[in-house]
Amino acid sequence: MIYCIGHSIISPLGEGSQANVEAVKAGRSGLKIHTDRFESVEPFCASLFDTPQEFVPLCIRSVEMAKGETDLADPSTIFILSTTKGDQLDLFTPAQSIARHFGNPNPPIVVSNACTSGVCAQITALRLLDAGLYKSAVVIGCDIQTKFIISGFQAFKALSPEPCLPFSPDRKGLNLGEATATIIYTSEVRKGWRLEAGSIHNDANHISAPSRTGEGAYRCLTDVTEGIDPAEIDLLGVHGTATLYNDDMERTAIERAGLQNVPMSVLKPFFGHTMGAAGVVETIIGMELIQRGIFIKMLSGFGGVNAAIRLRCE
Amino acid sequence: MRVSHEIEITPAAVVLNGQPIATNEQGEKMLVELYRRYVKDYPKFFKMDTLSRLGFIAAELLLQDQPVAAVILANRSASIKNDTDYLATITGENYYPSPALFVYTLPNIVTGEIAIRHHIQGETSCYILEKPEQLEPIILSQINRQSPILAGWCECSGPNTFNAKLQIIWNN
Amino acid sequence: MEQLIEQLKTQIIEALNFEDMTPADIDTDAPLFGEGLGLDSIDALELIMLMDREYGIKLADPKAGKAIFQSVRTMAEYIQANRTK
Repeated sequence: MIYCIGHSIISPLGEGSQANVEAVKAGRSGLKIHTDRFESVEPFCASLFDTPQEFVPLCIRSVEMAKGETDLADPSTIFILSTTKGDQLDLFTPAQSIARHFGNPNPPIVVSNACTSGVCAQITALRLLDAGLYKSAVVIGCDIQTKFIISGFQAFKALSPEPCLPFSPDRKGLNLGEATATIIYTSEVRKGWRLEAGSIHNDANHISAPSRTGEGAYRCLTDVTEGIDPAEIDLLGVHGTATLYNDDMERTAIERAGLQNVPMSVLKPFFGHTMGAAGVVETIIGMELIQRGIFIKMLSGFGGVNAAIRLRCE
Repeated sequence: MRVSHEIEITPAAVVLNGQPIATNEQGEKMLVELYRRYVKDYPKFFKMDTLSRLGFIAAELLLQDQPVAAVILANRSASIKNDTDYLATITGENYYPSPALFVYTLPNIVTGEIAIRHHIQGETSCYILEKPEQLEPIILSQINRQSPILAGWCECSGPNTFNAKLQIIWNN
Repeated sequence: MEQLIEQLKTQIIEALNFEDMTPADIDTDAPLFGEGLGLDSIDALELIMLMDREYGIKLADPKAGKAIFQSVRTMAEYIQANRTK
């Protein structure tokens, strides 16, 4: 069990967790149609920073906002970066630059488990701290959009030309987004949100097509809700990319796990799909939206991987 | 923590449980040679990027029929070899992004390929680390079950620059 | 038409990385997906890219591809009617 002691989000919707939560509550979206970015051959809809951001400085700013009194230079603190494409395709060097900036002596850990990375990074923090290997963990999620990513999703015919419509019969695909977010966890008992459980499962079905039975996501959900009455769960933060098949897969998994009556949140219409940042951004927004209770956050991604965590605040 | 089986693959040598496996080819071609000799019936192999071929062949030779509960792999260069190949499809006049290449521009796809082949519906995780030793505490904090896991280093930075060291690891 | 079919088979083998396969191994009228060649969703996207790259045909809706990609013959017929290069 690990305890959240600080967090931050920097996204096109604002600087800091509070600004982002308020934007979501006010129904503001970072999604816009772009015609002149990343040499795209066709217009695309995404949530992008007005001024292009650099990966490492952006992460450093996010950690600065989240860290509070935590001593990040202490050897008992580990930096964990969740990203899919890092800084110009390099994933480890930027993580090292961030950890070094804060004087941390440990080689950082990069979690790159496709779209589930942000939840998997928190699970890694949970395990390392529970095992007593470290006392605190700085979990950073970040991805910045590039021609590389946009062109790939276009080739996959996965992008919606308009703001995405998760779980709508009219959904046409996803929107990409940029963001960075940080959560600082400690193993020291304290009040507030705590991360209690996490689970990762593969569908073992296909590397890009979601499983028809939602097997991996279903197993993740049953793992993290074991012994808990669905009526006790206050929020289920779903992935909700608004692609035809992934939304179907999630619905199947949620129904199989008996969670179809739990209140759900889907944040892609506000932030777009922020890839490596998504799990961290969406965990923070979920905690802030409900303030207290039991919160389940789930994600799924390429490579057939699914992940879920359970957080609680009394 | 106990290691029962281990395989090491470099562009010039394959060593399974301490025994070298002789090959005629080197590098990427050696992976194809191993496929033709030991696998044969999985044409999806030819669609995989070099990183996935490396992990796939290593898992194939190592696991035989041993079921494992999870696949935990790590490397230093993520999916850089395939990223570079994909970049070539979106450069200049040649703008025809290849979806088949794009899907492999994630370092965790190799864990997915192994999971599909061996029907592993447990955990698959992929870490980018400075060096292989960094993976050990991560594995130690992960294994808490009866079945063994498949874990190790699976690194590929070019068609002929790769190395894998995968193990079957037990919690007893 | 026969020439286009042969050329298309070679391009499909190359684009989809079918090692050890020659144009003679592909039945012109066999289904490309499911039975037959057993292509999957990524292959479908690669075929869409092939049509664009080699013949200047842009297919926006992957679902529209279903009828076109029934067999090598249906693909060749569509190409002949719609090619811009």
